[in-house]
Amino acid sequence: MEVAGWGRRQDGVGADEAGAVRMMCSFRVGGGLYGVRIAKVREILGPTRPWDVPLAPVFVGGLVHYRGEILTTVSLRVLLNLPTLKGCGSVLVVDCASGCYGLLVDEVVEMVEVESCCFEEIPATAKEGRKRLFCGVYKRTDGLLIEMDPERLDPLRLEMDAAADGLGALPVRVV
Amino acid sequence: MLVWGAPDNRSVDDLTKEFLLESLEGLDRMQQSLAELERDPGDAELIGEVFRAVHTIKGTTGFLGFHRLESLSHAGENLLSQVRDGRVRVSGEVIEGLLQLMDGLRHILNLIDMTGDEGKRVDDDDADLILALRSLQEDGGRQNVADPLDWIRALAPEDIAAIEAVCPPPVLREETARTLPQRAGPSARGAAFSSGAVAMELPMSVPPRAAQVLDGSSAGRGAAEARSSAAEARSSAAESTLRVDVELLNRMMNLVGELVLTRNRILQTTSGDAGFAVLGRRLDMVTAELRACVMKARMQPVGYLFQKFPRMVRDLARTCGRQVRLELEGEETELDKSLLEAVRDPITHAIRNAVDHGIEPGEERAAAGKPAEGVLRLAALQQGGHIVIEVCDDGAGISDEKILAKALERNLISAEKAALLKRREVLQLVFLPGFSTAAEVTNISGRGVGMDVVRTNVEKIGGTVELESEPGVGTRLRMRIPLTLAIVPALVVVSGSQSFAIPQSALSELVRLTPREAEEAIEWVDRTPVYRLRDHLLPLVWMDALLGLKKAEAEGGRSAAAQAGGDGRRDGNLYIAVLEADGRSYGLVVDELLEPEEIVVKPLTSVLRQEGLFSGAAVLGNGTLALIVDPGAAAARAGLMRRGAEREMAEGGGAGRQHGTAGNLEQGGAGGGLESLFLVFDAGRCDAGAAGVACGAALPLKSVERIETVAYRRIEFAGGRALLQFRGRALPLADPGGLLGEVEASGDPETEVKILICAEEGDVAGGGQRELVGVVVRQVTDVISGRLLEGNAAGGRQGAAAESQRRGLAVLNGRVTAIFDLAGACGTRLVACPQEVI
Repeated sequence: MEVAGWGRRQDGVGADEAGAVRMMCSFRVGGGLYGVRIAKVREILGPTRPWDVPLAPVFVGGLVHYRGEILTTVSLRVLLNLPTLKGCGSVLVVDCASGCYGLLVDEVVEMVEVESCCFEEIPATAKEGRKRLFCGVYKRTDGLLIEMDPERLDPLRLEMDAAADGLGALPVRVV
Repeated sequence: MLVWGAPDNRSVDDLTKEFLLESLEGLDRMQQSLAELERDPGDAELIGEVFRAVHTIKGTTGFLGFHRLESLSHAGENLLSQVRDGRVRVSGEVIEGLLQLMDGLRHILNLIDMTGDEGKRVDDDDADLILALRSLQEDGGRQNVADPLDWIRALAPEDIAAIEAVCPPPVLREETARTLPQRAGPSARGAAFSSGAVAMELPMSVPPRAAQVLDGSSAGRGAAEARSSAAEARSSAAESTLRVDVELLNRMMNLVGELVLTRNRILQTTSGDAGFAVLGRRLDMVTAELRACVMKARMQPVGYLFQKFPRMVRDLARTCGRQVRLELEGEETELDKSLLEAVRDPITHAIRNAVDHGIEPGEERAAAGKPAEGVLRLAALQQGGHIVIEVCDDGAGISDEKILAKALERNLISAEKAALLKRREVLQLVFLPGFSTAAEVTNISGRGVGMDVVRTNVEKIGGTVELESEPGVGTRLRMRIPLTLAIVPALVVVSGSQSFAIPQSALSELVRLTPREAEEAIEWVDRTPVYRLRDHLLPLVWMDALLGLKKAEAEGGRSAAAQAGGDGRRDGNLYIAVLEADGRSYGLVVDELLEPEEIVVKPLTSVLRQEGLFSGAAVLGNGTLALIVDPGAAAARAGLMRRGAEREMAEGGGAGRQHGTAGNLEQGGAGGGLESLFLVFDAGRCDAGAAGVACGAALPLKSVERIETVAYRRIEFAGGRALLQFRGRALPLADPGGLLGEVEASGDPETEVKILICAEEGDVAGGGQRELVGVVVRQVTDVISGRLLEGNAAGGRQGAAAESQRRGLAVLNGRVTAIFDLAGACGTRLVACPQEVI
């Protein structure tokens, strides 16, 4: 069941929704644990190594073949300013308004239930450029899970955002 | 104003959808039939076809509850039944009325499709049409129709005898009785007949046998047979075909592709068993056949498209006061559905041009000794992997003088250049944006959509356009269109350990050079490598350098070559793929050639298309993913000049266009001798004398990739160079006007600085790529078209673009303006650290 707008930074958590549970697909990138709402995940492709695209915007992690279509992947490592992964990562096929795209992560961890009472906004001190990629953070016993906003990670959106703020927002690959 | 029906009526249910599709198809057939009917007004089969289309609509609307549609189609049906029964003769007015009826019906059907309702207008304009149809019917009955007794006069004596035999005497009217004897002689005297409304009354008033005899009479026999056989053919076609959503076919195509890949993987994993290999081959065959079938299902005869044109030509000819006969040819030629849609507009435009500007008015034609009726030929034929569509007319042709005069008037070309152009080149001017030769702007053509749009549209789908014209004889526009968009024969090459596909259509030949040969065969024109191909200098472009692939490799890019069975550069040979694209030919140097393959083209997201270099991607037979290189875009990116240099004029509009690649923005310069666009800027105070550096005020627009505005604090200084982090690289900044120093002096790190990001040709063979350099400017003043001064514009086709724009002067707006020396800025002369400047 979908609770409209819940968990978004804009409206935060309504008190009446306390105790509501949401399913997340959690994954690891670098040392951090992140998640996207399971409703947005179409499929998880096992260990995959996307094909490079020369001269593509930095955030493009490459192309993967998915059910007869060519899927553009977004490299979370690049977006989070981490060195690119040596070896294979996993690709989440994510639905968004403009279709679907691949999200290149280190590894998919599990499907996890999170409760709205554990939700908190992203701290204001987070880096401006990256902050908008996140919906919020869940406090869990084994650490924090940062919820990512699938719409914001859409390659088209990333491109638009990058164009809108000029160079500032374009993450620079650190090797 | 529209008054809508009940809200629940709005959604279009399946039944209605089916009805719409059927009706619209019927109207398409009706349109075709009407066009033919105009040429052959007596054809009963055609009348029957039109009648059926309208009748079917009327029949179905009744129970679907579309009353507006019903009353209109009813009026049409009435007229048509009169026509069918020969009581109204097919005249120009009747055809016109029926065409209007068709438009009216189509309009309502479209309305239903869009809104789910037939839109009962308050000012219902159907009433006029219905009235018009009714009056046609009545007028037709009174005046247009031949003497109702004509048919009797046409009867053969034996028919009359037969009728006499079966008809009871009292039915005969007096008039008939008076007429008949003169024709039929005494034998028919006293026989009974019904005349006037022959077919209407006969079946009711005479016994069935008489009707049968009449129907089978020499006049009606042929038509009746034709009608029944046509009906048979139609019904059998309806039974053996069905409508399929194109979306579904696309999906099937994808699944077939998937099947191929899965098959390959299966074969790879279990190759040990011999029996399995046999099964695998079988699977292979079935898969290939399946793919061919799905492809075939996407094909449609161009006749579907062509059938719209007779009507259009007819209307156009009327409006323009021309007499035009349209000849269609090769309607059975098949073309992919999506391409069919894509060529509709270009053909429409070409036909408009031909009727409006090509074919002369009757008197003029007569004076020129041509028949008053002009011929417009629309033909399609398959030629190898292409479909050629030709639009030819036998009109006035296009005169050189007119084109040149117009081009000069529109400032599309300079007078000196114009004098040097050959006939062929003059014709090419027609494709320039903003060009229109119509002396007066008519409402048919001349709405600002020119031949440039035709060309752009056709090139968008991988086709080409050629124009031939002979003054006084006619004009021929030829469009070459690939058979299908979905599957393209391509050559797979490897460069920098990645696979790429090059469409065969652009590939003219392949050259292999061993390392030793390469050393001798590759020569240098300044810093541009060239290869002598049959005594022509072919500029070479290293693919890995062009794509910056070395870097990718260093970062651990996946080795496609290793998968494909070979390591890139293993043999050290060089392969030159000689490409022809957009009127330029060049050699693309790659590491290895793999198999030619029929690749299934998959689109890329727009984010990746912005580079423009790749037109799509494909999954190869071995599961490798290959990007499809657009040879034209690659040439543009490499800075190769186009011979003709026209289209860029259209694309070079905005200098500040975001993400525009150099290729997109490239302006024609040297080759065709046309003007190119320059970006004019204010670089701040300019002490040209100081270091002998001409700190110009203009740059060729093609070398400007984008314009960035950044805060001063983001500019960093290292080793005495001003640098900007851009696309993951440190971009050296040139500051000809010392603007950075000024900003530094002002002390505000947030001050915004405008930087032109420019690309400069690097040393290709040395593994360099397009080097980027930033030029700090105060402001961008304008984009002006102008010419490089002769003597400076050395370039030409073979010379590197870099050379022609190297240093020099250009005439912009009638003033000599210095061109900024990018190559210099790229190399040694860099800005001094602001501390030193101050």
